[in-house]
Parts: sequence; C-alpha cells; structure tokens
Amino acid sequence: MKKRAVLIVLSLILILVFTACKATDVIGKMAVTSFEAVLNIIPDKITFDQTYNGWTLESEKGDRFLWGKDFSAQDKPDLMLDFDAKPFINAGLDISKLPIDIYAYDSAANRILVKAEIGSISFEYKDDAKALDSFKKIVDNHRDIVGYHQKFDHYGVALGNGNMFEWAKDLTTNDKDIVFVLNPQPFIDAGADPTNIEGWIFAKVEIMDEKGKTIEVDKLLKLFDL
Amino acid sequence: MKTETLKITGMTCAACAKASERAVKKLDGVSEANVNYATEKMVVEYDESKIDAEAIKTAVEKAGYQAVVETENKEAAIPISGMTCAACAKAVERAVGKLQGVKEVAVNFATEKALVKYDPKQVRLSEIKQTISKAGYKALEIDANSKVDEDKLRKEKEIRLLWTKFIISAIFTVPLLYIAMGPMIWWLNWPLPAWLEPMQFPFLYSLVQISLVTPVVIAGYKFYTVGFKAIWRRSPNMDSLIAMGTAAAVVYSLYSTYKIYAGNFKHVDDLYFETAGVIITLILLGKALEAVSKGKTSEAIKKLMGLSPKTAIVIQDDKEIEIPIEEVEVGDIILVKPGEKLPVDGEVIEGHTFIDESMLTGESIPVEKSVGDKVIGASINKHGFIKFKATKVGSDTALAQIIKLVEDAQGSKAPIAQMADIVSGYFVPIVFAIALLSSLTWLISGESAVFSLTIFISVLVIACPCALGLATPTAIMVGTGNGAENGILIKGGEALETAHKINTIVFDKTGTITEGKPEVTDIITTQITDKSRLLQLAASAEKGSEHPLGEAIVRGAEKEKLELIKLDRFAAIPGHGIEVNLDGKIVLLGNRKLMADKKINLEELESQSDKLASEGKTPMYIAIDNKLAGIIAVADVVKQSSAKAIERLHKMGIQVAMITGDNKRTAEAIAKQVGIDRVLAEVLPQDKANEVKKLQAEGRKVAMVGDGINDAPALAQADIGIAIGSGTDVAMESADIVLMRSDLMDVPTAIKLSKSTIRNIKQNLFWAFGYNVAGIPLAAGLLHLFGGPLLNPVFAAAAMSLSSVSVLTNALRLKRFKAY
Repeated sequence: MKKRAVLIVLSLILILVFTACKATDVIGKMAVTSFEAVLNIIPDKITFDQTYNGWTLESEKGDRFLWGKDFSAQDKPDLMLDFDAKPFINAGLDISKLPIDIYAYDSAANRILVKAEIGSISFEYKDDAKALDSFKKIVDNHRDIVGYHQKFDHYGVALGNGNMFEWAKDLTTNDKDIVFVLNPQPFIDAGADPTNIEGWIFAKVEIMDEKGKTIEVDKLLKLFDL
Repeated sequence: MKTETLKITGMTCAACAKASERAVKKLDGVSEANVNYATEKMVVEYDESKIDAEAIKTAVEKAGYQAVVETENKEAAIPISGMTCAACAKAVERAVGKLQGVKEVAVNFATEKALVKYDPKQVRLSEIKQTISKAGYKALEIDANSKVDEDKLRKEKEIRLLWTKFIISAIFTVPLLYIAMGPMIWWLNWPLPAWLEPMQFPFLYSLVQISLVTPVVIAGYKFYTVGFKAIWRRSPNMDSLIAMGTAAAVVYSLYSTYKIYAGNFKHVDDLYFETAGVIITLILLGKALEAVSKGKTSEAIKKLMGLSPKTAIVIQDDKEIEIPIEEVEVGDIILVKPGEKLPVDGEVIEGHTFIDESMLTGESIPVEKSVGDKVIGASINKHGFIKFKATKVGSDTALAQIIKLVEDAQGSKAPIAQMADIVSGYFVPIVFAIALLSSLTWLISGESAVFSLTIFISVLVIACPCALGLATPTAIMVGTGNGAENGILIKGGEALETAHKINTIVFDKTGTITEGKPEVTDIITTQITDKSRLLQLAASAEKGSEHPLGEAIVRGAEKEKLELIKLDRFAAIPGHGIEVNLDGKIVLLGNRKLMADKKINLEELESQSDKLASEGKTPMYIAIDNKLAGIIAVADVVKQSSAKAIERLHKMGIQVAMITGDNKRTAEAIAKQVGIDRVLAEVLPQDKANEVKKLQAEGRKVAMVGDGINDAPALAQADIGIAIGSGTDVAMESADIVLMRSDLMDVPTAIKLSKSTIRNIKQNLFWAFGYNVAGIPLAAGLLHLFGGPLLNPVFAAAAMSLSSVSVLTNALRLKRFKAY
C-alpha cells in the first residue's frame, strides 16, 4: 500500500514538473524546426528590414511576412503581412475605409500592410541575432500566438483579428508551403468583393472558437509554393 | 469421506468461482466441490486416504486464489496481572503456546494482555486461563468487546479498501475526464488552462493525462494482476475483461502520446486515458457497492448471532459469578433474572416464569416454564427468577444449530444457480471471442483502428458477468435469511426452489391441523363393564404411550383420579392400537381394524361409533378378553390458523390433502371444518409415504407437512418436507423446511417466500443476462451498422457496474417480504 501511495504522490509531482517543463512543448519546438526548414529553403529571400527592425520572408512576387527582432519598440509592428493592394482595389476596396490601427496603405508601392502589436518585451540575444533566433524569441515569449492548424497540417503565427501567417509542418509533402490568412470582413466592409480578389481564395476554414468549438469561418487565403 | 469448508479469497466473479471449483474437482480423491461466490466458501468432499486439505488448498492457490480451511478459530485478548518483566510475558507465551488448539499467542508486556488465537473445539478459554494461572500469573476477566470476529473484520477491511480505492480513483478520474472531455463538450464551457489546450500543447496534454490515469490504474491494479494471471491460466474471468479493455485503451493512448511526441499532433484525438480511468473508477464503485450490499444480504445471520447474550451468571459454590458465555459448560447452574436473556439451552431446576421465545420461534405469546421444562438459549425471561441446568452449550444450542442451518442454506446452490454458474463459466471466453471478432470485422470493413479499438473495449467491458454470479446466491441469502427471521428455516437452495413448484400439500392431522392435545369426550360401555373401569383399564394400558390419543386417555383418567393398574405385558400394533395384559385380563385398545383382526364383533356399538366419528371425534374400541367392552371417544381441537392457512393455500392454487390414521368419518369431519380438498384416512404410519408417492405418481409436486418425527418417511418421500411446530433436532433433520412455530399460516408464508425468492432470482438473471444480451450487440456496433451511434466504452462501464448494483438492489428488495 505504501508503494502505491508513493506512486500516486509521484504522479501528482509529475504533473507539476510537466507543466513547468518546456521540453514537453512539442508544438513550440516543432514550429521552430519547421520554420527553420522554410527559412532554409529560401535563404536568399530572408532579409532584415531596417525600417521595421525585423526579419522578412519574401515571396517571388514580393509579398512579405515580417517578424520583429525586438517587440519593445513602440512605433514598429511586432508582426506584419505585406501584400499587393491592387487585386483588392480592383475588387472594389476603398482603402480609406480600412481600420487604420491595423491596416496601413503604402501608396508609393501600392501595398497593404497588416500590422500586429503583440507585446512589449525586449528580446535579448547572446550573439548577433539571426532570423531564426528572433522567431525562437517569439515562441519563447509569446507561445500563445503560435499554434498548429490540424486541417492543413500547418503551424501558424496569429497576428490577431483573424489574420495569420501559416507554414507547412512538412514542406516535402504539403503543397501549401506558406499561407497568408486574412479576415475578409474588414475588406468586405470597405467595399471589396472577396470572391473577386485575384490571387486570393475566399473560403470557409474550420477553426476552433474560444470555447473550443469547431466552427467554420470565412477567410481570405493566399497560398505560396516555395 | 470428509467434508471441509474452505474460505476462498481473491475471487472477483462467478467465473473465478467456477475456475477454483474446476481446479479442485480435478484432484484425485475429491468427489464433490461446490463454490458459492456470494459467501466465498467452498464445500469440498474428499477421500482422506487419497488427499488432504493442504493439497486442496494448493490446487486453489494454483488456480490463482487463496484458500483457508474454515476452522472456527477465535481470538481473545486476555488481560494478565502479575507480570513484572518481558521474561514473564515470554513465560506466559510458552505455557499457553504448548496447549493443543492454540494457534497463536502473543503476550504484550506493556498492555499486559495475551492475544490468543485458538480453536474452541480443541481448547477452552477457561483452560487457557488456567494455564496462565499455573504459570504463576493471574488471568483477568476478558472484555467481551475484545473478541474479534475475523470474518467481519476482513469484510469491513475489504469494504474500506474498496472505498479508498474508489475515492483515490475518482479524485484522479474527475480531472482526467474534465481535461479529456472538456474540449469535446464545448457547449458546457469548461475552462481549460491555456497550457492544457490540446491543439496548443498536445504532448503536455497527454502527459498530464498519463499522470492522472496512473494513480487510477494503481488503484485498480488487482484487475490486472488477477485478470492477466487468469488469462495466463486459460481461465479468464471478469478481471480479465476489465484488464484487457482498459489496458488496450491505455496502451493505445501511450502509442498516441509517442506519435504526438514525434510530431504527429493529430493523435491528440486518439487519447483514451479517460476511458480507462472512468472504467476502473466505475467498476471500483460497483465493487464497493457490491461489497456493502453483499454484507447486507447476510444480515439475518448477524441478527441471529446477536441474539445470545455475551455473559451468563453461573452459580458456583453458592456464589453468583458472571462469566463469558463461551465459558459456560454443560451442567453449570445458571441464574436468569427477569428481563434477561437465557445464555444457553437447559432445563429449569428452580423457579417459575414466562419466557419469550419469539426471537427463535416467532411465537409472540410468552411460554410458561417451571421445574423440568426445557428452555432455549437467547430467549427472554419475562417475569420470575429461574435457575436452570445447562444441557447444551456452544455449537450445540438450538440457536447455534439454527444459525448453522441458515448458514448452510445460504451457502447452498439452487439448481437454477448451477445453471447460471455453467453459463458464466463459458461466458468470458465467448465474450473475448465476440470482442475480437467484432473489432476485426469493423477493421476489415474499412473502419479506423480507433473505431475497432472502441468496439473491442466496449464489448469487453459491458459483458462482465459479475451480475450473473450474484443473481442467485444473493437472492437465496436474503430469502433464507428473511425466512429465518420469520421462524421459517429453509434448509437449502434446492428446497427453496422446489417449494415454489408445489401444487399439492398433504397435512398430517394430529398436531398439525389440530392442536395435538386431544381430550376424552365420550365413554360408552357394553354390559361387561362400567365407564370408570373402562377408563381405568384404557388409561393403564396407555400409560407410557407417546401417542397423543393415548396421552388423552391417561389425562382423562388422571382427571377422574383413577388409580392406574400395573401392566404385565405391553405390545404395540402400529397403526392399529395396543394389546396389554393387566389384572389377569387381555385388553385390546385401538381402531376398527384391530378389532376386525382379532375378530371382535363391533355390531353392538357400531352406530354410536359412526355418530361419534361424524362429529369429528376419534372413537377407540376397547375389548376385554376378546369381548367388546366399550368405546372411548377422543377429540382434538382444530388450530385457529388451520382454516385460514388452507384458504390461503387454495388461493395460491394449491390442492390441500389431509393424511391421518383416524377413521374416515372423523377425518372427513375435521376436513370439512377446515376446508381440506382430499382426505387420506385410516393410513398406517408406514403407508403415509406411499400415499405421498401415489400423489406424486399423479404428476403432482407434493409437500408434506407433519411434526417431523412419526411422519419422517412421508416427509422424506415428499418433494418438500415441512416440519412444523418445533425447532427440535429431529424436526430439523427430517425436513427440508422447518417451521419454528405451530402456526399453519407459516406454510403459505414459506411457499410465498419461495415464490418471491425464485421470482427475484429470475428477475436478477433477467437483469444480468439482459445487460449482456442487449449490451454486447450495442457495444459491438450494431446500431452504428444502421447509422446509429457507437457505444462509448465509458457508458459500457457504467452499464456494467449498474448491472451488479441493480441485481444486488433487487435481491435486497426481498428484505421487505411480508409474512401472511
């Protein structure tokens, strides 16, 4: 009986240990590994943007995902999606009607910037920071915005307000290497016809709501094959 | 041949009982082995020259259970004074340990007590005390409360342990279920900490589940140790089903955890730790409730055991000494004050009182007792002081015999139980086969491995046959216990089962339908003598007779203050009468047949004899020197309850017959008074059994009700022998059912009890089989085949536990049985 009591107490201790142990965060760990794979497949498309003080991953057509080197900077976005505004304007978007706290319009380049402020933590690096190091800092400090999308077998970083950047867990088997995911509603509200945005797919996507219920929501998706 | 009772522990279902039974029956020299799962006892009959109890125990242990030969070992903590050091304690230990029958002795110098385990059949407590005194110390009076009822303690410990296991299991299962089901039951809004979001932290999510399920598996470790051992021995039992079902869930979930760790997060949906946890918890709950209910089924015995007082006041050297009841010996003179219980059986030697024997006989009116009368232990002295000499102590007392009889009956198996045992013996392997076959079929049909696993687990769990094993013994225990409380002692499961089929009841007349204390009503003489002389001669002839009619004549003479004449010769002619020589005369006293045999002309008194008989009186002819001298008519009073009891039996659809040695007219007159359907008159004692046989030949199930002594052959011949009116040894020996009171209403009550018990058994079997018969196809995915839902293993476990609990609850309903 004593042995069994010891085992039971041990089980309780294990729960506490597991909770505190980062090694058990396989999604966090694998998100980093798979993101590294993405970076490695297009090393020449990974650059540092001095303006935004962050790393960018750029597609062939110039669409970018930016993740900040340091989230403590007040005037710079922590995460950002940067894509061509033309298809949206052609679909009826009145740029001026987009909420300015999230969406910015670079009129010179005719691009829409979806900015996200995640936190204000200052990331400290031992050596010179590399793109992956900054991503690791995001996972370490803001684990809650990194997730796994079972339906697409993707990892993702949530920018908030229904916008996401996703990448494939396994680039070799997944035809959707990276995906920009946008909440279509602000664009619809600003006059865009979501079904007529060239290069973007207006689709229903299964997600879990805050209660854990699986629901289908409308999303605008842009798929990239690296 | 020797019969031994072994206590079997470690059994968890009827299949275990069957397995241990099989193991013992295989042994050379064992002629019979019968295991009752409810009482956890094995009665084994074996040839001592070929095998001993040790070999039987070993066979049981090899089968995976523990066996202890049932000795009525007792424990006593004897306070000792005079010990001054540890060496004294050792000395006492040595002295007591040498006594034959002392199993263990441990003397604690600090508490000054000797804890002695002894066999009371071999050594008496008083001897142990004497030995302590001889060793130079003083054995003090034992605190009655210090005696330990091993079995009771063991059962209480078992119940406590099961509750503890259940509580531990529930403590861990509730959060496990919460964590596992929370994300699935989103509408309940169960909040989960962010670090437990399955799609965010799947590995941690499964590790926490492992941590929670581990204590539950530990709490239910017995299912695995016993269950897998049983599979290994190729005699799977209920634990094997639980072990296989839950182990499959845990192993598959561990595999899923590994897959999650390897990065395949989809497997977070394939965790079934909560299934294993809930199954174990529910079954532990079921087991705990089962243990409590099983305890309740034997409450009747506990009540009977609690009837005797703990101490007795014995007169020794003109002093009143209060001693424990165990120390009372045959011949002791015992003083009983008003309101006190009589400690043992005995014979009154001084005083006059009324004694309430209702707790043993059910007879509510106190019985008058004076010098020479027999008294029964555990009855209550109502009024006066009495002293009586102990004639039966310990296991010889009427109460002890009743307890043994009820215990034996509760341990016996009804034929219907044997059928259930056979079924449950084959049940588990069949269930294994169904589980395997159905899960494989679904897998082959294209369903996922998870789906097949769910089927496999559900079938194993829902089909546990423990309810099947409990269905009959629990009902028999409650039924016979209830009977005992109502003064109806049913001697076994078979008697209980047969009694409900009875469609004809044959009552003995004298002492059964009638009070059995007839009185002389008429004396008619011929010219050769007068009434007084006739009565004197008849009474002298019947002096010493034990026949109720003879006793009536003697009482009649005593009333007339007639002096009885010494007999020169006495010859009884069974079924006819007697022939005696007295005063130089040959006197014949008996019925018409006797006179016909002796060629005595009855013509002169025939019409008067017929008239008396038609009035329900029994005319007895008396002839002196081969000449008819007269008739003495004796009449018996019909018991108040006779007519009512017979009416009740008629309502139950039972034909009632009366059997008597009396002449036909008398018998018919009595029969008319009480509503008897069929009269078997002028039947000799040796022919009563034949009459019963004739009725049986008509295809009837016959019960014979008699006083259990002169009706013994008929009682034995009948399908059910019911001895009425006493709790005497003879009555108990000869009948299948013993009615402690003289009230005939107990006959329909006994039949009603039998019917109720058998109905209860059938209901139990229906529930036990119903759960399995309905549950297995559901668990195997029958509904799913037609587009319906799939049975979750958790609900299968709940249903399985519910089946045992519902069977036990139904059996306990019998406790509410009301006598007529």
